[in-house]
Amino acid sequence: MARLTIDGSAIEVADGTSLFDACRLARGESLPHFCYHPDLSIAGVCRLCQVEVEGMPKLTIACNTTVREGMVVHTRSERVRKASQQILEMHLINHPVDCPICDQAGECGLQNQYMAYGLYDSQVAESDKVNKAKALVIGPHVVLDKERCVLCSRCVRFCNEVTKTGELGIFNRGDRAEIGVAPGRELDNAYSVNTVDICPVGALTSRDFRFQKRVWMLKSTDSICPGCATGCNVRVDHEAGRIYRLKPRRNPAVNGSWMCDEGRLTYKDVHAEDRLLEPLWNGRVVSWADARGHLAHVVAGGFALVIGSAHQSLEEMWLLRQLAGTAALSGGLAGSDLAVGDDILRSADRTPNRRGLALAGLAEHDAAALAGLVRAARGAILVHGGDPAAAPDVAAAMAGRQDVVYVGTHRRATAAAAALALPGAMWAEKAGIFVNRQDRLQAFAQAVARPGNAREDWRVLGEMLPDQGRAPTGLKALRAGVAADLAPALAPTIDLDRLPQGGVPAGGDA
Amino acid sequence: MSFEGLPKGSTDKRRSLLESMYLLEVVRGLGVTARHLLRNIFHTGDMPTMQYPEEKRVYGDRFRGRHRLMQREDGTPRCVACQMCSTYCPADCIYITAAEHPDPAIEKYPATFDIDLLRCVYCGLCEEACPCDAIRLDTGIYEIAADHRDKFIVDKEFLLRNTTDGTR
Repeated sequence: MARLTIDGSAIEVADGTSLFDACRLARGESLPHFCYHPDLSIAGVCRLCQVEVEGMPKLTIACNTTVREGMVVHTRSERVRKASQQILEMHLINHPVDCPICDQAGECGLQNQYMAYGLYDSQVAESDKVNKAKALVIGPHVVLDKERCVLCSRCVRFCNEVTKTGELGIFNRGDRAEIGVAPGRELDNAYSVNTVDICPVGALTSRDFRFQKRVWMLKSTDSICPGCATGCNVRVDHEAGRIYRLKPRRNPAVNGSWMCDEGRLTYKDVHAEDRLLEPLWNGRVVSWADARGHLAHVVAGGFALVIGSAHQSLEEMWLLRQLAGTAALSGGLAGSDLAVGDDILRSADRTPNRRGLALAGLAEHDAAALAGLVRAARGAILVHGGDPAAAPDVAAAMAGRQDVVYVGTHRRATAAAAALALPGAMWAEKAGIFVNRQDRLQAFAQAVARPGNAREDWRVLGEMLPDQGRAPTGLKALRAGVAADLAPALAPTIDLDRLPQGGVPAGGDA
Repeated sequence: MSFEGLPKGSTDKRRSLLESMYLLEVVRGLGVTARHLLRNIFHTGDMPTMQYPEEKRVYGDRFRGRHRLMQREDGTPRCVACQMCSTYCPADCIYITAAEHPDPAIEKYPATFDIDLLRCVYCGLCEEACPCDAIRLDTGIYEIAADHRDKFIVDKEFLLRNTTDGTR
């Protein structure tokens, strides 16, 4: 441990801590910075985080300094204030100040730091600024504006260190230095939009989000990416019931600060054209009241087969098992939603909750076995989520049956095969828990309202319970039931209703 | 507490008998009316009433009338769809959708720019917020009427046509 004094207050940090982190602890806020990033190497190029260390003749950058025993540091002295203001002024010399058309405005490092540390009058005439290329499409997801760049090199380091693809570099020197793509390449790695996230200014913008919304109009909800079994922690940015973008939330245990480009676009499915918005009885839109009538008729003799899916929340899976009772139970199609994974974040398993199926005690079946179960069912069949009828075998087995009930979100194969299709909620429209590939329980919250007449799945499933006295009255009650039932598999410290930010391993924290 | 007025049922002792008969007072009142009538007939120019709509009141230069969108030299809107106006607008009456402009020097332009004139309170904060001097309320147009609510939601083309001389 090293004891040091920062701005007059004594602080003790572990040896090897960077002065930047120590200052953040002591001050309660970061030093001004562009190039420092907790999940990238130290570059020390922006020179904004300069602090005064007693005994050192010149100011030193905190990010590239390691704490030493007995250090006396000043971060708010007049010398430091003046230095960061002048460095900021240098960064802004050639900045076009085109905030009105810049997507970063509102969450921009230059704007925030100018308001906090700058507030000087510019001495550079607009005509003296060095002009560079604007609105350059450099990849399938990213647009580059070279004028706005402050050359912090975060994006270059990201492509070198995280994806190890090295598409980006800094070319030329002096005030003509600029970020560029290596000749003959484009920024097309599977994680390219992370460069947009870490860009502290508006030099890199996302093509998907570009000009869709000003950022100050967005509201944020913490959630989990449903794109694969990794379960990256994300923030859903939405406004007026519409999701505009997903941004990664930092969680060193799961996704660091990153997420993949594919995962970022998973929100598109929430607003898909083929959403199931109303109950359908044999393809005809009916009211919920009528749907309940049809349901009572179809399942008069109880369900003979209940099929879940790895796309649903842990609570819903557990409820499904209660609903099945003695009926045959399946976790859905084994091997569905498989794609190519990599060793950065993407899992080959493109479902968010396959481990949840195992935890809730639902076994998956391959297409032939599932079709066999469907054929063997002497009574109604309930399919919850997923799209098992996308497999031709299962679709053939379901064909002609008038007793298949589907609770799902899209008008796809299973909705078409079912006699009664009931609209459920997508992940962003409900709260729940996903269990990722590390057996980590992570909670997601409801971000947007459910469209049309879609309802929360647990309410729909709860109404089907033969014993209505056991139907959950709320999410809290439902989670209490899950916790009581899964107690042997879960660490006793886990409170399903209050999972910690960043999730918790099913076995508890080591 | 004693009431300083008059006992119940009595007439006002401050009026004279003649006044309390009203007849003379009615004749005097008619006289006032007749005087005004005759003056208005023979001195029409002194009347405070304006012959609207043939005659219109002149407002000051700072009067805030219906909005207009300023044009670039080529007639396209000067607006870059930064949405500062719709952010600042206390009545929430400006609806903008931005789009990518083919010219990278312009980059962003309003694909739609609608103003709900019924919601607008003509406060002028939008013109103060605008970094491009693209929206102004200086047309002097105050005759804002239509026969359907939908017609009060005016679009980009309408706002671009508005000019300061009050025509459209």
